[in-house]
Amino acid sequence: MTKANEQRTTTPPGPPPLRPGGAHHRGPVVKPRNFKATLKRLWEYFGRERKMLTLIFLFILIDSVIVLMNPYLIGKAVDAMSLKPGKVDFNFLEIMIIILGAAYLADAVLNFLQGWLMAGVAQRIVKGLRDSLFKKLQKLPVSFFDSRTHGELMSRLSNDVDNVSNSISQSTTQLMSGVIVIAGSLVMMIILSPILTLASMITVPLVFLLTRTIAKRTSVLFKNQQMQLGKLNGHIEETISGIEVVKAFNHEDKVIEEFEEVNTKLREVGLKAQIWSGFLMPIMNVINNLGFTVVAIVGGLLAVKGHITVGAIASFITYSRQFVRPLNDLANIFNILQSGVAGAERVFDIIDEQEEPVDVSHAVQLVNPRGHVVFDNVSFGYRDDVPILKNVSFEAAIGTSIALVGPTGAGKTTIVNLLTRFYDVTGGRILLDGRDIRNYTRDSLRRCFGFVLQDTYLFSGTIKENIKYGKPDATDEEVKAAAVMAGADLFIKRLPKQYETVLAENGGNLSQGERQLLAIARVMLAKPSLLILDEATSSIDTRTELHIQKALLSLMKDRTSFIIAHRLNTIRDADCIMVIDHGEIIETGSHKELMAKKARYYEMFSSQFKNAGA
Amino acid sequence: MGFLAKYIKTYWKSFSIAVLFLTIEAICDLLQPTVIAIIIDKGVANRDMDYVLKMGGVMLLITAIGAGAASTRSIMASIVSQNFGTELRSDLFKKIQSLAFRNLDKFDRASLVTRMTNDVTQVQIFVNGLMRIFVKAPLLAIGGLIMATRLNLHLAVVLAVVVPIVAVLIIFNLKLGFPRFTKVQQALDRVNGVMREYLSGVRVVKAFNRFDVEVAKFSTENEHFKEESVAANRLMAVFSPAIMLTVNLGIVVVLWLGGLGVNNGTIQVGHVIAFINYMTQILFSLMMISMVFTMFVRAKASAGRIGEVFAEENQLAWKDDVKSQPEEKGRIDFEHVSFSYDAAGGEPVLKDIHLSILPGETVGIIGSTGSGKTTLVGLIPRFYDVTGGTMKVDGEDVKHVNPKRLRDKIAFVPQRNVLFTGTVAENIRWGKEDATQEEIETAAAMACADFIESSPEGYQTRIGQGGVNFSGGQKQRLSIARALVKQPEILILDDSTSAVDVATEAKMKAALKKYANGLTTIIIAQRISSIIDADKIVVLDRGEIAGIGTHGELITDCLVYQEIYRSQMGQEAL
Repeated sequence: MTKANEQRTTTPPGPPPLRPGGAHHRGPVVKPRNFKATLKRLWEYFGRERKMLTLIFLFILIDSVIVLMNPYLIGKAVDAMSLKPGKVDFNFLEIMIIILGAAYLADAVLNFLQGWLMAGVAQRIVKGLRDSLFKKLQKLPVSFFDSRTHGELMSRLSNDVDNVSNSISQSTTQLMSGVIVIAGSLVMMIILSPILTLASMITVPLVFLLTRTIAKRTSVLFKNQQMQLGKLNGHIEETISGIEVVKAFNHEDKVIEEFEEVNTKLREVGLKAQIWSGFLMPIMNVINNLGFTVVAIVGGLLAVKGHITVGAIASFITYSRQFVRPLNDLANIFNILQSGVAGAERVFDIIDEQEEPVDVSHAVQLVNPRGHVVFDNVSFGYRDDVPILKNVSFEAAIGTSIALVGPTGAGKTTIVNLLTRFYDVTGGRILLDGRDIRNYTRDSLRRCFGFVLQDTYLFSGTIKENIKYGKPDATDEEVKAAAVMAGADLFIKRLPKQYETVLAENGGNLSQGERQLLAIARVMLAKPSLLILDEATSSIDTRTELHIQKALLSLMKDRTSFIIAHRLNTIRDADCIMVIDHGEIIETGSHKELMAKKARYYEMFSSQFKNAGA
Repeated sequence: MGFLAKYIKTYWKSFSIAVLFLTIEAICDLLQPTVIAIIIDKGVANRDMDYVLKMGGVMLLITAIGAGAASTRSIMASIVSQNFGTELRSDLFKKIQSLAFRNLDKFDRASLVTRMTNDVTQVQIFVNGLMRIFVKAPLLAIGGLIMATRLNLHLAVVLAVVVPIVAVLIIFNLKLGFPRFTKVQQALDRVNGVMREYLSGVRVVKAFNRFDVEVAKFSTENEHFKEESVAANRLMAVFSPAIMLTVNLGIVVVLWLGGLGVNNGTIQVGHVIAFINYMTQILFSLMMISMVFTMFVRAKASAGRIGEVFAEENQLAWKDDVKSQPEEKGRIDFEHVSFSYDAAGGEPVLKDIHLSILPGETVGIIGSTGSGKTTLVGLIPRFYDVTGGTMKVDGEDVKHVNPKRLRDKIAFVPQRNVLFTGTVAENIRWGKEDATQEEIETAAAMACADFIESSPEGYQTRIGQGGVNFSGGQKQRLSIARALVKQPEILILDDSTSAVDVATEAKMKAALKKYANGLTTIIIAQRISSIIDADKIVVLDRGEIAGIGTHGELITDCLVYQEIYRSQMGQEAL
């Protein structure tokens, strides 16, 4: 809060403004790519808040004028005491004091109103920004999430948005009042005495020179410091999260040594940066006082000749202070604003991301499909130059189970991604019940699929809520029935709060097998027409898998199902097994047929069961 | 917060010097308004130019002394705070590295990282602030009060009213503000929580078409966050103008009383101006003090979190290093071992494990999730100490062995792949610092990490943080190569081939047999095929040994093993 007040109090020469941290801990400024355009866009984005902001700016304007008047009024009051030695003009003093009191009161009220309104405006803007960002995320394709880390996205949603909020609520108002105070002070100074104004300007080039010289040095140092800090934090992150390995390999001393090296470098750079930036304030103080002395001397000379009153000199000193101080702050504020705009730019980057294309105009709702799936010459690549699937064609009859096997990276998961339109084919087409899936609405298409993935995802909430995720209006009986069918009921009943047990983030308090059973119950309840099992049991030990296998079998009954699995025994009962390698189907058939063929599948199968007597 | 004592002992002298210079600086600041008053009253008012020049010189001198003191103080403060921060960070890092897992388990890993980074910085900034302004603010406030009172006792009455009011306002501000901002922080955490959850579960949300629910959930939390922030900020919007108004009205009163005084001839005009200067100075100091409180609370919380780590004592102890030459290298004995993670009679994870592993043997461990496999092998390198029974390696009770010496014999490949930033070669060299290129290549060949050589940069390929640019199977093979280059007596593979395909795994095992003869190998596996040819297979079930024997023996007389086998090979396999 002091920052906003610095410009407001009537401060004849005194100590420089006190600011904790201040210039000393500022990192390098992140510069926006296109400052003006983003600022303009931000302004447009504010929509209905624009009127309110205009009102606030008006308040600031009036308040700044009042603040500018105060030293003048104090000067006049002092004049009332000093024009005739020993005689005080009480009538005049009274008027001045009443005006001054009124001005202070108005200043406080305007300040309060401005702060009160700004709190609402800034937070509403930020909330709107967050909401629209989150809504935007709902419309983005899976590819967007696949290509970015969570940390990166989280930082956009929280740090960057916060940054925008700070720059709106703090720096814009400060910037405005700062500019007004500087301009106004200059005007008042010239009005009071052009000669004195000229005299006090002697120090301005000195201030600029000093700030630039030091800033030049410190900006490099701060950048370097930030770099070392990043390095150090990276090292800490790595060695602490991987501490098992550090200890297992007796590498404690080595990582400590590495740490010391970066830590020492950080100290050296940090020390230099801090010392250099620490010089700024004391030297500035000297320069300012030098200016004051010049003003006092010149003012004294003028006063001797009767050109100026003592009160005018007092006000003049205050104005020259006010003129210099925001000048120092402005650079700082501008940096905050810049980093805010850079944050806004990153937020807009996401808002501008390409969304999942809208459904075609003649798209129809898919309801209870029978589950006849045809891949017709399908090609696909996540990147244009790297094809993943090449001319894949196959047909899945209604109610059959199709197993996809093959080495990692062969394109198994891609087939599933295409089927559910997480990605769209780049060549050929996929038919469901005889119609190109691009002609169904995406929502209705996905609703027809049930997923059991390797990484089950559970949301914080109760077990019941998690099972109901796919069918929010399910009754308690339905939930229980689904859990019983999935074989999850057994362990749920053992929990102290049963179905009302609250799960930690991503079900951290359950074992992997239990989480998987919940995911199956979730699908069970949603009763999808088609089923996708992507490595559904690969992270589960084989005994637990037995139970889950049973649950899966009842789930697969009468549903067209696609199964991806590493462990080949889990898919030997599938109606049709497809071996995929390098984006192509190289073998198709039942387990028996493929074994008889003694080709690729046979090789894979027997290597897995080598020596096992299978 | 006893851990700070060490640093106080080291730095109190430099700290005191910094504070001394800070005091000089504050005194110079305090003198300025008085000098200005003298210049106006005696110089300007009397049109005495010589006096103005003379006092102008005095003023510049005072400023210069102040600047000199400030610069010295700044250098001292920088040295103290930077050295202190560096040392604290380094000590904390060493402490963390020295702790046993039983200690480390008390903290979340992410929270340890935060303690190392944010919390240390927080404390460092506070210490730096102490020498820059935090001590100066009270000095200026008290000094300002003294100077103003000395200047004029009558006018000081105004201060006697204004200062307490401002103090009360600041206290209220803090009292009401703190809980508000805590609430804001909590609301923000919840917003981020919803966000994080959405990002991790995006496929599920899409699959179930639950956008509306997610948006509604987010909206609710976001709205709540907005409300809390607006409330907190509005509270601040009341106090700041109120404090300003109090002081400014004080100035108006001073002007009026000053006018009366000047009329009586008891006060000089310059004094009135100086008095107003001191008032604003006191105001700034008071504001600063309220800021110091905020910083102090934050730094105290951080110091507390750092202190928690320092308070941990490594519970692993050992006798003096006995350099006895073991007769049998690579022998492991579990003698009626039991273990629980909560030492104080918690649920036992391992119960009465009795097992001997002979030098050169290959032992497979199999059992369902949570049966205690990882815990069992974690006892061998003394990641944890047994809570019952005796754990022996090479015939020596590990409780008497320096963990460093013990771990030198053992190479461990954890379940979770941990690779470090650096090149592939550097990562493999973790196992043996002075390994030659040839040794590295041999280890990589044994681990079937042939993808290294087929990549354009080969062993010089950089690994990003956490190994993001490698697939799971590749990372596993790199981890294995890293273990093999160590040429250990004992090799422990904790389910470390799960992402490697079966053919490659078989090749790896064949290579191990050929090159690493005499190496005791322990393999935890999910797939029976991974351990089927082991000399001994240990079947774990709920922390107990359900069977020990070869595949042939277990398949006939171990129920649990049969069940596992059936689940993997199909019903008809038996």
